Amino acid sequence: MQSAEITRVSERHWHALDDDQVVGRGEVWRRPDGRSFLSIDAWHGTVFDRLAGAMLPTLPKPLYTVVDEDDLDLLSQWERLGFGPRRREWELVVPTGDFASAAEVTIGPAEAGPLWELDSSIRAEIDATVGWHNMPAEVFGAHDPSRYTVAAVGDRCVGLVRVAPIPRRPRIGLIAVLSAHRRRGIGRALLAAVLGAAHRAGAPFAGAEVNQANTAALALFESFGARRESSNLELVLR
Amino acid sequence: MSSGIAIEGTVLECLRNATFRVELTNGHQVLAHISGKMRKNRIRVLPFDRVLVELSPYDLTRGRISFRYRN
Repeated sequence: MQSAEITRVSERHWHALDDDQVVGRGEVWRRPDGRSFLSIDAWHGTVFDRLAGAMLPTLPKPLYTVVDEDDLDLLSQWERLGFGPRRREWELVVPTGDFASAAEVTIGPAEAGPLWELDSSIRAEIDATVGWHNMPAEVFGAHDPSRYTVAAVGDRCVGLVRVAPIPRRPRIGLIAVLSAHRRRGIGRALLAAVLGAAHRAGAPFAGAEVNQANTAALALFESFGARRESSNLELVLR
Repeated sequence: MSSGIAIEGTVLECLRNATFRVELTNGHQVLAHISGKMRKNRIRVLPFDRVLVELSPYDLTRGRISFRYRN
């Protein structure tokens, strides 16, 4: 492993070669919020360190990565390089079922025009408040209206939830309500709707990832019986 | 330049330390972690998922899950 040769094979990719075989890979990618995230896959700590040694000096800081908190080996490898925890996201398992909701809203499928108008309003609110750097990467992209359910008050969409249709465990990727319409049970109504749909489709559980600091979202999910299955740490090297 | 052996398998069990026991299509079982790219994309792996596993060139009982198929 000491003899592994490190090669930058493209702007974003590095390989560790041992006897002409790829024994490690490093990658850097830039998220839409401008932050650079690293990943290193290597079969041995030595190769991990050598890849990191080749990558880190060439990249502007701060640099970020994501680690399953249970993966103690990988976590210690990043910590050895000086990376430290920035935030924790709980991986939640949410039981599906038919849940009642008292909110006075209309819940239904999304149409492209009103959906993107709402999406733009929510993004503007996030930009003006907590900022995208506090949101998980998956909030961006995936503009497929069929994945969204929206809440409407009158003829105006005020909340949305996006679900990735993974058959055995649908994944709730985003749930958001315009600030002027919060604290009226709209988030609860959206969540109840998608958990009911998943239940009828035969999925006993849905998955979601929630920032530990987002106590309102955690309370919402836990009020539906969600349990914390695991956690991911976002690490940063400044 | 070789990228090593990649073989399909089915996840049998989620173990401690973010490790998975995977049964390969050739009947062998390996212990595997998920790749950095999957972590980046927040792709979760559950028992019964069909996955692609890259085997370690140093230890064929170890692997890395590089892809999860849509069942």
